[in-house]
Amino acid sequence: MKTITVKYGVDQITKQVEDNFTFGDLQGSDTFKAGLGFGDNTKALVDGIEQNRDTVIPANATVRIETAANTKA
Amino acid sequence: MEKTEIILQTDGSFVERLVSERVLDAGQSVLDTLTENLARQVRNVFHIPGWGAVHASVGQNDTLWSVPIDRIPLHARFRLINQVMVPMFASGTDIEMPLVWKVPAGVKVVFAVLTKQEDDIVSVEGNWLFACDADKRGYRLPLPNLHDECLICTGAFDGDQETAFDCVKASLEQFGKSKWNADLMRTSEQSKQFFRFMPTKDSFETLPIQGEWTALCNKISTALWERVVT
Repeated sequence: MKTITVKYGVDQITKQVEDNFTFGDLQGSDTFKAGLGFGDNTKALVDGIEQNRDTVIPANATVRIETAANTKA
Repeated sequence: MEKTEIILQTDGSFVERLVSERVLDAGQSVLDTLTENLARQVRNVFHIPGWGAVHASVGQNDTLWSVPIDRIPLHARFRLINQVMVPMFASGTDIEMPLVWKVPAGVKVVFAVLTKQEDDIVSVEGNWLFACDADKRGYRLPLPNLHDECLICTGAFDGDQETAFDCVKASLEQFGKSKWNADLMRTSEQSKQFFRFMPTKDSFETLPIQGEWTALCNKISTALWERVVT
């Protein structure tokens, strides 16, 4: 297990996750979605740099979730 | 200025520390270098008649203008359901009316305009519409014509102007006269609970939002939202 901190706007959660927990897992996690209030269309950033969904989140990382831009339906 | 500190360490020994301090003359150029990647907020830069004060977040390459607004012009189709007028954005048959929704207490709504200057032209790079709560959580209102990140699909207007004031004024004029249609529409149920009007003798009165307003919106967080001055 490892600890990560996830921020969405002014809110944040620090939580233990599995060692192989990826940015994509985080973005799809119902627990984090419900806790922080983000939806399906997001991007994950560390130190302002957008992260690949397949990348494993480093231990003790602080991840910032942002609402992603979308295109006209 | 120099001062001497005597430190008692945990092993019982004493250590003398000499500290030298001087006030640095940090000039504007030093401050500019240290803050070049930060946007600077300036409140009440100018005033748009009919809308109010405009605040700025000045970045290195652009400026985000924030206009806290007290109403949303809703030029859309409406239907009377149980004596309450509610929007029917996707309808092609209901009556079309230019109603004005008054922002209730407890909700802040901010219209934002991003501008860039090139030579003598200031250009509108986009218009956004945000709602926020007292703790500055950002929300996307339950409206169509709004992208996930709250960018407004405004329709075409002349966004190239001589001044930033003209850009914000032109954006608000477009916002005021645009018709709301079903583009980017999500569920209409939230809209009907949020934007409600009571027909009165000669106009329409804004009714309170039905339920907790934040539950009818989508919480958002973007780099641009972080720059909005509320």
